[in-house]
Amino acid sequence: MSRRTPSYSIERKKSRWGWIFVTPTLIFFLLFSFYPIFNAFYTSLFNKKLLSLKPPDFIGFNNYSYLLKSPDFWNSIRATLVFTLGTFAPLLIFSLIFAIFIMSRKRFQKFFQIAYYSPAVLSSVVAAVIWLLIFDPRGLGNQWLNLIMNTPGIDHKWLANSVMVQMSTMLVYFWKYVGYFTIIFIVGLASIPQSIYEAAKIDGANDWKIFWYITLPLLKPTTILVSIMSMLQCLKTFSTQYLFTQGGAPLAPINVITLNVYNTAIRDHRIGRASAMSIVLFIIMLFLTWLQFKSSRADEISY
Amino acid sequence: MKKLFTIFLFVLLLSVTVNAAANMEITFWTHEDPNRTEIEDRYIAEFEQANPGVTIKRVTSASGKIQELVLTAFAANQGPDIFNMSIEDEYAYIVNERLAAVDFEAAGYPSLQAVYDAYVLGVLDPVTYKGKLYGLPLELTNWCIFINKKVFRDVGLDVEKDYPKTWEEMVEVSDKIAIREGEILKRRGFDFRYPYYLVAMVPMVEQLGGKLISDDGKTAIINDEAWLKFLKFMQEWGPSGRNLGSPTYTNARTLFNKDNNDIAMCTTGLYQEGRIRNENPNFYNSGEWMVVPFPVFKDAVKDVPSAYYGHYYMVNGQKPKENQQMAWKFVAYMLSHPEEYLTKVNIVQPTVELMNSETYKSMPYSDVFTNDMAKAHVVYYGENSAEIQALIREAVESVMLAGISPEDALKTLKRKVQEVLEEG
Repeated sequence: MSRRTPSYSIERKKSRWGWIFVTPTLIFFLLFSFYPIFNAFYTSLFNKKLLSLKPPDFIGFNNYSYLLKSPDFWNSIRATLVFTLGTFAPLLIFSLIFAIFIMSRKRFQKFFQIAYYSPAVLSSVVAAVIWLLIFDPRGLGNQWLNLIMNTPGIDHKWLANSVMVQMSTMLVYFWKYVGYFTIIFIVGLASIPQSIYEAAKIDGANDWKIFWYITLPLLKPTTILVSIMSMLQCLKTFSTQYLFTQGGAPLAPINVITLNVYNTAIRDHRIGRASAMSIVLFIIMLFLTWLQFKSSRADEISY
Repeated sequence: MKKLFTIFLFVLLLSVTVNAAANMEITFWTHEDPNRTEIEDRYIAEFEQANPGVTIKRVTSASGKIQELVLTAFAANQGPDIFNMSIEDEYAYIVNERLAAVDFEAAGYPSLQAVYDAYVLGVLDPVTYKGKLYGLPLELTNWCIFINKKVFRDVGLDVEKDYPKTWEEMVEVSDKIAIREGEILKRRGFDFRYPYYLVAMVPMVEQLGGKLISDDGKTAIINDEAWLKFLKFMQEWGPSGRNLGSPTYTNARTLFNKDNNDIAMCTTGLYQEGRIRNENPNFYNSGEWMVVPFPVFKDAVKDVPSAYYGHYYMVNGQKPKENQQMAWKFVAYMLSHPEEYLTKVNIVQPTVELMNSETYKSMPYSDVFTNDMAKAHVVYYGENSAEIQALIREAVESVMLAGISPEDALKTLKRKVQEVLEEG
């Protein structure tokens, strides 16, 4: 026979307060995250047009089978993966390097933190508009690069070449988010106790060994956090690609899934198909996050 | 006490209901145009004064953004009472039965036929569906070529004689005018209006004997040879060809008004005159600009100028009947000032009276626009016209910028537009 715990134990009281605090967030998530996901999945099973008042036809998984056969959708998968790989790896590496650089400064730490973080404060739309001006053939992009490389008059076709336009979107994203992830790494670095470094120094470890054998392993939880956050951020990229195509850049090279979802829903009015695409993107994001967790085998670090 | 409270509640509810009936708010969404805002704000004040209890809420959005805002609002059944967009974007609202038919009585006409009689023949056809009329035109526009005479003189061209009559001449003249610093264009001769492929580029294909959709509406992209020739022309125009222009440069129409020696020609409508006058009165009054007809290819099989398109005022069919009537009454009130729209905003409301008026005929170069319009047809409109326009854009930009061959671009375009047609 199992023994029942007294109903007014401290744990029960604590857990009740826990539920009270968590409930608003749960309701928020249910309303603004879970409901839209289920609704998108439900909509994806219909041939629904955005403006039609007629009841949509149920077509089962036809939208999904259409997507699997659509060269356009596969191009979007390619564009999304290229962008994610091309942005996420440099973001991760450089934000760590910048964080270490800032932490190693004796002076101007705050200045560097603000300087790196400031682009993250800008909205993505404003950032993309600024870069559109820079990437204009007569803009600063060509002027700077030609000055540095001593190649006067060369148009680097920032937006007018399939490869360059992909690089340009990566550059904008990197510029915008590197400061944000740098700050997260700074917080991670600051949480490593100084006593560990002091002990290593007493044992004769040089800077490289300290970084490789102490800093990096102890930063593992932060690295996992940054890598997952930056990867998800990259997979969800939209405004840069959207504004670049509005500015005349060719669509196909940067037609990431989110942009395809937008065009399918808003331009083509095919909300059922767009919902199917967003569900596929959701599954990709879920799978990649799971894969990252699994491959990193995140252990709790305790000092 | 309880009884008193119930009576109080009843009176309160009644007063709220009566108040709501007496006060009617009509929401009116339109695109930004400072010249229009000035006169329409005045029309709103006059209309509100003449119709006590009615408030008109005018909301403006960027011309490239309003399509999305209206669409999402309608998708959530929260559309405005009145809106206007270009017919390519509006037609889907008609076929999906989201609109209220024109209430001719509220608009002050004795019959529906009187509405048709008031406008130039054919201009209400795009908004007539299953025998009902769903819109009244705010403006009807076709494009010609605006020229900056100073730039022509600068390279020793006689603008009256040397202005481009064919697209081949447009290439040669633009090449002569272009100033390049290496590969970078510092001054362009002419450049296209890239987002509007149905208005200017489909007619170019038609000049060569091609068509967007067959007459029976079942086949897409007719006459491969014409389409290929057009795509090759655009490839040559772009940065990997003769490098005369590109969608990635600042749009030609905006630069033209500045008169900064950046561009010699652009393609746009009569309304541009009002914008030049507003933005750069010195240039407007200098007499250093002129308008010439839309060019044709040298070996054109058809003389097709740019297509004309209309912005039509439409009324939300999901609003209460009394709102719909008031909305049409207000639209008709605004449209009862076509001469002011023409002289202050330079937009043409195609009423028979206006088109025959001295005011229209005395507008600079209105004859050039009228002559071109007489040969033109309305822009392609259908439930999927925005999607088809995006596909043509994709094909043109892929040959100009992405290194795709015209043959491959055509194959993709054909497949995709056909798919759009078949899916309906």
